[in-house]
Amino acid sequence: MSILKAHNISKKFKNLEVLKGIDLEVNKGEVIAIIGPSGSGKSTLLRCLIRLETIDRGSIEIDGQPMVTEASDGHSVYASEQNIRVLRKKMGMVFQNFNLFPHKSVLENIIEAPIIVNGLSREEAEAIADQLLQKVGLAEKRHSYPCELSGGQQQRVAIARALAMNPDIMLFDEPTSALDPELTGEVLRVIKNLAEEHMTMLVVTHEMGFAKEVANRVIFMDNGVIIEEGTPEQIFDRTQHPRTKAFLGQILRS
Amino acid sequence: MELDYILNSSIAILKGFKVTYGLFFSTLIFSLPLGLLVALARISRYRILQVVTGTYIWLLRGTPLLLQVFFVYFGLPALGLTLNNMTAAILAFALNYAAYFAEIFRSGIQSINKGQYESADVLGLTYAQTMRRKIIPQMVKRVLPPVSNEVITLVKDTALVFGIGLLDVLRTAQIIVTRDFDITAFIIAAVFYLLNTAILTFIFRKLEQRYSYYTT
Ligand SMILES: Nc1ncnc2c1ncn2[C@@H]1O[C@H](COP(=O)(O)OP(=O)(O)O)[C@@H](O)[C@H]1O
Ligand SMILES: [Mg+2]
Repeated sequence: MSILKAHNISKKFKNLEVLKGIDLEVNKGEVIAIIGPSGSGKSTLLRCLIRLETIDRGSIEIDGQPMVTEASDGHSVYASEQNIRVLRKKMGMVFQNFNLFPHKSVLENIIEAPIIVNGLSREEAEAIADQLLQKVGLAEKRHSYPCELSGGQQQRVAIARALAMNPDIMLFDEPTSALDPELTGEVLRVIKNLAEEHMTMLVVTHEMGFAKEVANRVIFMDNGVIIEEGTPEQIFDRTQHPRTKAFLGQILRS
Repeated sequence: MELDYILNSSIAILKGFKVTYGLFFSTLIFSLPLGLLVALARISRYRILQVVTGTYIWLLRGTPLLLQVFFVYFGLPALGLTLNNMTAAILAFALNYAAYFAEIFRSGIQSINKGQYESADVLGLTYAQTMRRKIIPQMVKRVLPPVSNEVITLVKDTALVFGIGLLDVLRTAQIIVTRDFDITAFIIAAVFYLLNTAILTFIFRKLEQRYSYYTT
């Protein structure tokens, strides 16, 4: 069953066309890795899906509901702010730079949105937060502040914070790229655990080992288009596409 | 004799406290929130608010504070609004300091990383919730040093109100000096300003310490 469906989406920054007609369908429980060279539009794609950027053309449906539709002239028309709010609640996002709220403790970072956006009581929110902190292995950091945590720990808090809103789909934009190499493992392990629980996820990553192991499907993007998609084996082991080959060759060499 | 004179002069000058402190605290009470409102309007997406607040800041920072005090006290009656001199001083000072605070707050708000807005946004917080809970609290920490500067300047700027006949600390001291041909009263006034500055410096240092529980 499809939880997210993007059709023919295009996005321009001024005159630079960054997404050039992307089609993407995400099924419930799927883990999709998005790979591709820097500047190919991977972040922009995720940001458009969660409406941190608006698209110029094409349509996006979340859980069968239109967030943005394509008018007859091809231009995108967004749903009402109110409807978009409802749809965006189904999505969570984790950023490369964590973006935790530095003036709030770990616990407060996690419980604030459930309380003020979802209307949970403080007790309910704390119970969820504690459960999630347990899950990401940071129960003892409940009262710490982000500046007291390592990058890997901060990112795990950011994941818990997103999960606390109980999203149907999680978007990860290079969740380990800002981390020292020895800290990537702990974050990838958390994402892998989520995959085992069948959380639907779109993960932009340069961690090819992780993509191979965890993803059901791999999408290779270059220059604003999806060049190729398939199972990890199809992309990593049997690709015939010269650009995919070139990209993977380069990654493996570095 | 000498000590007696200092004591008596000090008591006389104490009367000026009422004006100086009255103006100082009233200015802060009105100008800090007004400055925040102006800053928020300045960065809002409404062009009209940007232009109005931009002009306001330009006018108030671009002319002498004393001129603004004169304008409110002597000029507004021509427009049908007559204020007593203390009210006029408070109004002019509050509007003037709000312009400076607005610029400090604006730059503080704009120094906050874009990622803070984005993570609040994807968590479903509205713009107002984001500003109130995320951006403004972080801004406060960042603007403490420049705000402290302004507040210390304000202590001394209050002396400008001699221009509309208010008897503040400095004016009271000046009257005594002229009467007695003795500058002791000026020294007492200087000590008064220095003490206040020391207290404010201390308070702001404490505030900065209080916000040092986190770094960004
Ligand atoms: N806000 C923006 N304004 C202008 N150009 C942008 C903006 N965001 C991204 N770009 C440009 O869009 C292209 C794709 O960027 P991005 O989606 O970040 O790629 P990736 O995540 O694959 O590295 C790049 O050329 C980048 O410079
Ligand atoms: Mg990117």
